[in-house]
Amino acid sequence: MDKKQLDETKIDHPISDDIHENEKMIKERVGIGKSFDVGVRKIHVLDKEIQFYFVNGLCDIQYIIELLRELMFLDAIERKRTKVREQVENRLAHVQVEHVETIDEAITQMLSGLIFILIEGETEAIVVDVRSYPGRGPEEPDTERVVRGSRDGFTENIIENTALTRRRIRDERLRNEIMQVGRRSKTDISLSYIKGIADPEMVKIIKKELKEIDIDGLTMADKVVEEFVVKQGSNPFPMVRYTERPDVAATHLLEGHIILFVDASPSIIIFPTTFFHHVQHAEEFRQAPIVGSFFRWVRFSGMLFSLFILPLWLLFVLDPGLLPDNLDFIGPEEDSNVPIFAQIVLAELGIELLRMAAIHTPSPLATALGLVAALLIGEIAVEVGLFVSEVILYVAVAAIGMFATPSYEMAIALKMLRLIFLVGVVLFHVPGFVVSIAIVFILLVRIKALNVPYLWPFLPFDLKALMDILVRQAVPVKRRRPSIVNPQDPIKQGSS
Amino acid sequence: MEKKTDNYSNENTSFNSAVAVTGFAGGIIWSVIGYIAYFFNFISFGPAIVLMPWALGEWKTGPLGQWIGIVIIGVLSIGLAFLYRLLFAKINKFWPGLLFGGALWLLVFFIMNPLFKGINFIPVLDFNTLVTSLSLYLIYGLFIGYSISFDYYERSRQNEATVQE
Repeated sequence: MDKKQLDETKIDHPISDDIHENEKMIKERVGIGKSFDVGVRKIHVLDKEIQFYFVNGLCDIQYIIELLRELMFLDAIERKRTKVREQVENRLAHVQVEHVETIDEAITQMLSGLIFILIEGETEAIVVDVRSYPGRGPEEPDTERVVRGSRDGFTENIIENTALTRRRIRDERLRNEIMQVGRRSKTDISLSYIKGIADPEMVKIIKKELKEIDIDGLTMADKVVEEFVVKQGSNPFPMVRYTERPDVAATHLLEGHIILFVDASPSIIIFPTTFFHHVQHAEEFRQAPIVGSFFRWVRFSGMLFSLFILPLWLLFVLDPGLLPDNLDFIGPEEDSNVPIFAQIVLAELGIELLRMAAIHTPSPLATALGLVAALLIGEIAVEVGLFVSEVILYVAVAAIGMFATPSYEMAIALKMLRLIFLVGVVLFHVPGFVVSIAIVFILLVRIKALNVPYLWPFLPFDLKALMDILVRQAVPVKRRRPSIVNPQDPIKQGSS
Repeated sequence: MEKKTDNYSNENTSFNSAVAVTGFAGGIIWSVIGYIAYFFNFISFGPAIVLMPWALGEWKTGPLGQWIGIVIIGVLSIGLAFLYRLLFAKINKFWPGLLFGGALWLLVFFIMNPLFKGINFIPVLDFNTLVTSLSLYLIYGLFIGYSISFDYYERSRQNEATVQE
């Protein structure tokens, strides 16, 4: 059954000159009369039958009424009964009017929210773009807030999203190549890059990968596309960067990155990405360079702390002899009833649960959740003797470091790494700690996302690029685009 | 023609300087990590180990000695980077780097250490020290090796591209 239907949509059905035959076929295929949201409006103009096909909810009804009214006037005023099609077309008061020759294409367009008009005796349908998708305005994205800087964010509408970028780059060489992916969902994907900067090879590779996607639908939008384009395997690290900020997207376009807009998702994908793309934030570029660097250092140390402090502390608890003399105070003073490792795991689990719960707790209940959390994990667990207070301190520090990571995906990946280190420590103490770090590091080095080494510019080492990450440089000083995207035009600005 | 050869030698020197920078930075970064490992007693010796063959003052095992050791390792590492460039630069993979690091570790611990027996090169060779130092050497080798090979590969690819144009 499914196979048959598939075939049906693959063969092109030309529009016949018998309008009733067309009507029958279209009705059968999209289920007019069965589905309430697709419909047809028939009018007679100049003795010819004219049919409007539409999907309600996706088009602006006002426009359709306007068009219908024009045609009705035409019928009332015009005497000549010839050249109906030209006359009708001339009266379609709209900018985007196109012709299609097959029923299949017409249906696809209609299901995207355009209307198509069939005229008796004609073998072409006229498609008018009267789309108006339900959606929200470009609000500031929740996950990437800044103190200063633009507050518009991408929305679920691909047209608005490309427009938000175009508004920032009026370059004639900015290309937004649109394509449709997904057998049933026919999701719009726009591949955007600046011609003359972006690496044409990379564009070609991504385009090829996109063309090879053969799936029924992309309802989870960009994430699905990501999984098809970068073969992630079992590596938890984010291989592409997502952003919901048009300014970040535009900056990356100018640096020579390639951007994928996927319809119905407010986040866009930036290619290619390395580890260090995930530790930068728009806020840093809104402050004085030195302040931006300061932010970065604070953030880096927070992330390093979050990664290493718990395993290291656990190591010192298990093996107090390792502590240098002046750090002797570290380690629990009171004896605990529960093994430290179990305490850490419980506390980590608790925090993770809280985080998950916080995401889908409705805001009126959030205060209650916070209260429960603070009391439960904090005070009482210590008083009851379940936890040592130091455990709570270090778990909290680690959690805060995680929350300060700009990329949510990266934060979770780092958290998983921390658990791996913890297990290494509890099983084999120092060798476990060292070997688990070494193995993770070597695996990280091996990762390549679209032929770009993941740890670049740290490894392969590139001093200039690394300095650019460690220190946020003033924009006038930064003359070159990052070499890793292989820019066709490496110079960003003239020397003045 | 003349311009082309000029270009070539230019690129060669810039590659050499990149190798030198990578070597120096690799030496510094990983010996600092080594110092941290020493600080937490993962490993029984710090970067000051390079000063061991020389009889110097008390300071050589203190922080000052460690930092001087780090700088010396950085300089020595430049030589190692050039050695790597001669041996494996053309293999754009990550494993020659690991091999290089492993071989270096064997050389230092099992050939040089017994050789300098008289001046007690490495104080205690316990299991922690062995594992930690091996990991450090492997990652150091990976750092040097992968950086140099990748740079070499990128440069030759760019050269090809310009030739094709």
